[in-house]
Amino acid sequence: MPPTAGLGLKPQHYAEALASDAKGLWFEVHPENYMAAGGPRLRWLEAIRARRPLSLHGVGLSLAADVDPDPGHLAALKALADRFAPFVVSEHLAWSAWRGVHQPDLLPFPRTRAALDRIAANIGRAQDVLGRTILVENPSLYLPLTGHDLDETEFLAELTRRTGCGLLVDVNNVFVSASNLGYAAETYLDALPADAIGEIHLAGHGADEGGSALLIDTHGAPVAEPVWALYRRLIDRIGPRPTLIERDDDIPAFDELMAERDRAHRMLLGTGACACPHAEPAHV
Amino acid sequence: MSELAAFQDAFVAALAERTAAPIAGWLPEDDTELAGLAVYRNTIAKGCVDALAANFPTVASLVGDDWFRAAAALFAREHPPATAALLAYGEAFADWLARFPPAGDLPYLPAMARLDWMWTTALFAPEARPLPAEAFALAPDVLAAARPRLHPSLAFAWFHSGLPGLWLAAREPEPGEMTLAEDPQGVLIVRPEDTVHSRLLDAAGFAFLAAARDGASLGEAITAAAHADPAADLATLFAALIADGVFVGLDLGDSA
Repeated sequence: MPPTAGLGLKPQHYAEALASDAKGLWFEVHPENYMAAGGPRLRWLEAIRARRPLSLHGVGLSLAADVDPDPGHLAALKALADRFAPFVVSEHLAWSAWRGVHQPDLLPFPRTRAALDRIAANIGRAQDVLGRTILVENPSLYLPLTGHDLDETEFLAELTRRTGCGLLVDVNNVFVSASNLGYAAETYLDALPADAIGEIHLAGHGADEGGSALLIDTHGAPVAEPVWALYRRLIDRIGPRPTLIERDDDIPAFDELMAERDRAHRMLLGTGACACPHAEPAHV
Repeated sequence: MSELAAFQDAFVAALAERTAAPIAGWLPEDDTELAGLAVYRNTIAKGCVDALAANFPTVASLVGDDWFRAAAALFAREHPPATAALLAYGEAFADWLARFPPAGDLPYLPAMARLDWMWTTALFAPEARPLPAEAFALAPDVLAAARPRLHPSLAFAWFHSGLPGLWLAAREPEPGEMTLAEDPQGVLIVRPEDTVHSRLLDAAGFAFLAAARDGASLGEAITAAAHADPAADLATLFAALIADGVFVGLDLGDSA
């Protein structure tokens, strides 16, 4: 997969996504939104996948819960991965399912060594079922939890060593978490193992409507300039990687999102390490 | 219990109880951090409410955004999602609305939710190719003995008032005057290809489909339709169901 820029695929943009002739464009979806027996959503995805590389970015596997991944969810994910042959499957360093309830959010946990064992086992289980390695994404954090044995960057690096998984670096999440918990985003990014990074996410954030000083990872605004600057810093260090513009709320016109995507694309083409300056979509 | 499991129990309790007390052991001593906890709680609520708004669009349009989001958030606290696939979330919403005191003066609302749920379920039902009209060009006795297989997306129901008509009117892009007819009505919802199709069903049509769903032959189903409404135009009824894409197969049995 050439390291080009992609866009999160939204149902209101299906027709334009299918018709776009942008070079190197790929798409990403949440597999949970396609875990259906049939229907037009799956048909649109099939049509778009026939023309473009696809990434499956899960939000529901709950890798950081102290329980085995749900076999039904894993089977549904495997069925989608087999059907759509994505170039990457990713998930989050977070939990959402616990004791039969699914909380539709990416929840935090104390990064203990015991948690590391459990999550490595869960990633291993998921990779065994899927028959491929996955990428694991850094979460956005809102609580200054104590009781961590490892920094998040150490924790992620250790997961890659133990399981062979890669990393999906969400630069906006780094920015949001660093602001909320009071550390330097640059230091965090510099500590990530370059070789493990398989994809980058860029998204927008907002202020807390509740009135606190917290930044919220809303995916509801354009990518902020400080996040673009961190992205520049990251790809200057590690070289180009497939980069996604994520937008899940207050969704604007397709062309508006493509303008952000094109900005990332131009930055990728400009990095010296790019092996494919006129990248075409991977043969699919 | 592991520390991770203990934390997860405590975090769920903190979300439900709206206090950081259950996770105080994992927070700095000088800091109750309710703002951070509220972010998670709000995100969870928004995820549930957005999913319900997508799955129950007619209910949402009838009661307005503020009412819907407040009600949906309460529903989500009592009936949180069981799986990550939120396109299948809300099966209990119609029954819950029927018991929800603020909906007491909106007696049509649970039926609107039930019809929305039928529509949403049809949208994500398995694919199947409807039989074309030519497939029914059989000898009369063969046709009468054939047992139809119904489209997996098909849903139909009978109501003791005009609730289906109200629902269909409310789903128009620009709903006009909406009135609730007193006469009983049925509804048919099916997704023969990419688009969910819904229309009113009369007593004969409902009786036909109910019989077919229970395994009747076409002849038996037509008889059931004639019993339900002796004045029904049975040929037109049957042709309309074929055009709706309701039938995906015919089991011809031994007479074939």
